[in-house]
Amino acid sequence: MAHIVLVALAGLTYLLVLGPIVIVLITAFSPTDFFVFPPPGLSLRWFAAFFNTDSLRDAFLRSIQIALTSALLATLLGSMAALFVARRKGFLASLLQTLFLAPLIFPAIVLGLALLLFFKLIGGMPEFIGLVLAHSILGMPFVIRAVSASLLAVDPVLEEASQSLRAGPLRTFGLITLPLIWPGILSGAMFAFILSFGELNTALFLTGPGVTTLPIEIFSYLQFQGGQLVIAAASAVQVGMIAVMVVILERLVGLSRVVRSN
Amino acid sequence: MADGFRLTRRWAALALLAPPLAVFLMFFVAPLVSLFWVSFHAPSQTELFGAELTVEHYATIFTDPFYHTIILRTLSTGGVILLLCLVLGYATAYVLAPLPQRQRLFLLLLLVVPLMVSNVVRAYGWIAILGRQGLINSLLRDTGLIDRPLLLLNSFEAVSFGLMTILLPYMVISVANALNAIDVQYREAAQSLRANPFKTFVHVTWPLSSPGVASGMLLVFLLTLSAYVTITLLGGPRMKLLVSLVFDAVGAFRWPLAAAISFVLLALALVISALILAVLRPQRVQGRG
Repeated sequence: MAHIVLVALAGLTYLLVLGPIVIVLITAFSPTDFFVFPPPGLSLRWFAAFFNTDSLRDAFLRSIQIALTSALLATLLGSMAALFVARRKGFLASLLQTLFLAPLIFPAIVLGLALLLFFKLIGGMPEFIGLVLAHSILGMPFVIRAVSASLLAVDPVLEEASQSLRAGPLRTFGLITLPLIWPGILSGAMFAFILSFGELNTALFLTGPGVTTLPIEIFSYLQFQGGQLVIAAASAVQVGMIAVMVVILERLVGLSRVVRSN
Repeated sequence: MADGFRLTRRWAALALLAPPLAVFLMFFVAPLVSLFWVSFHAPSQTELFGAELTVEHYATIFTDPFYHTIILRTLSTGGVILLLCLVLGYATAYVLAPLPQRQRLFLLLLLVVPLMVSNVVRAYGWIAILGRQGLINSLLRDTGLIDRPLLLLNSFEAVSFGLMTILLPYMVISVANALNAIDVQYREAAQSLRANPFKTFVHVTWPLSSPGVASGMLLVFLLTLSAYVTITLLGGPRMKLLVSLVFDAVGAFRWPLAAAISFVLLALALVISALILAVLRPQRVQGRG
C-alpha cells in the first residue's frame, strides 16, 4: 500500500516536470491560429513564422553568439582555476574553491543588478560584453567541477613519469594531462553553453535595446503580447538545441556524469 | 637545477590562478561590494545615487508594513514550495533508488534535461495549461462543466505550484545521490535487528540521506528567491515577491533602494539556509559514504 502511494507520487513528479514541456513542443507544430490541444494536425508554419520574425531570429542568433563566447571564456578560465585548485589542499585552496563555486548558489538576480550598476559606475559596457562576462562567471563553476572530476581521476604517476624524463610543466600538461582531461573540459564547455543559452536572471538586467537573448525575447512576448503560437515554436527551438547538446554530452562523457552534474 | 625547476612550477601555478581570480574579483566581488556601498546612499534625481550616507532604505524595509507583507509572502511561497518538493522529491528518489543502475540513470536524466531548458519555456508550458484559453479551461468548457473560463493564473497558488514543478528536479537529484551513497549494509543491519521498514527509514535511511535533503532544500529555496520571470508570468502584476520589488525599484531608477532590497534578499537567503542546516544537521553524516 505504502509502495503504491510512493510510485503514484513519483509518477506525479514526472507528469508535473515533463508535462508542460511536452505540451509546448506539441503546440509548436500546431496548424491552427490559436492554442488548441491536441492540435488537429501537424505543420511547420509557426517555425517559419519564428524565423521570419526579425526580433525572434535576431535574439536566437545573439543567444548562440553569447553562449559560444561565454562558454569559451568560462572554459578557459574555469580550466585554469581547476588546474590550480583541484589538487591543492589547505585553507587558501578551499577558500578559492568556495569563491569560484559561489555562483552556483548565489541569487543570480543580485549579481545581475550588481553588474548593471557596476558597469554604469565604470562608465558603461557594451551589452554583448556585459552578458558574456556575466554568463562566464555563472558558467565557470560547471567547468571547474567537470575539469576537477577529470583531474582527480588522472594518476599523478603519469605526470611524474613525464617530468622524470625532463619534460617541463607545459610539455607534461600538453602531452599527458590535457589528453586525459579533455572530455571533462569539453563537457564543462557544453554545460556553460547550455546555462548561457537559457539564462534569465542576469540577462534581465544586462540586455538592452538591440542586444537581447532568446529567453528574454520570449519573456517580453509573453508579458506584453500574450502567448502567441510563434512563442511555442521559439520555445521548441530552445528545447531542441538543449536536446542536441544532451545527446552529444551523453556520447562524450556517459549518462552518469550528465546526471551528476546538476 | 632543481631550484630553477621548482621556481618555474611556482610561476606556472600563479599564471594559472591569476586570470580566473582577476575576473572573479573584478566582475563578481567588486560589483557586489559596490552594490553594498550604494545601498547606504541617499537617492538622487540626476546621479545614480546621492552623496550623503544613510540607512533610510533599510529602515524603510524593516518598518513599512508593505515590505513586511511581501517578505512574509516570499517566505510562505518558499515554505509551500519546500514542503511540496520534499514530499514529491523524496518519494521519487526513494522509488528510483532500488532500480538497476542504467534504468535509474535514464529516469534521472529525464528530470535533468528539463533543468537545462530555460525557465521561461517551462513557465510558458504552465500558461498553456492554466491560462484562460489553456488546456484545463478548454477541456472543462468542452465537457460543459463551465461557461466562463476559470482564473487559474495570477495567484499565490499558481506561482507556488508552477515554481515548485520547475525546481522539483533539484530535490529529486540531490536526494537520489544521497540515497545512492548509503551502504546497503546499514539497512540490512537494521532489519536483522528486527526493525520494521518504518523504523529502518526513521533511524537509518532518513538520517543518512539528510545531506541530500539539505542540499536540495538549499538549492530550491535560493532559486525561489531569484525566480523573477516565473513569478511574473504565473503571478501577474499583483502577486509580487521580494525579487519583484528589486525590479520595481530599478524601473523607478531608485538604485540605492534596489540595492538595499537585494541585500535584504541575501540576508533572507543566509538566515533560511542556516535554519535548514540547523534542522537537518547534514554534517553529522559527512565523512561517511
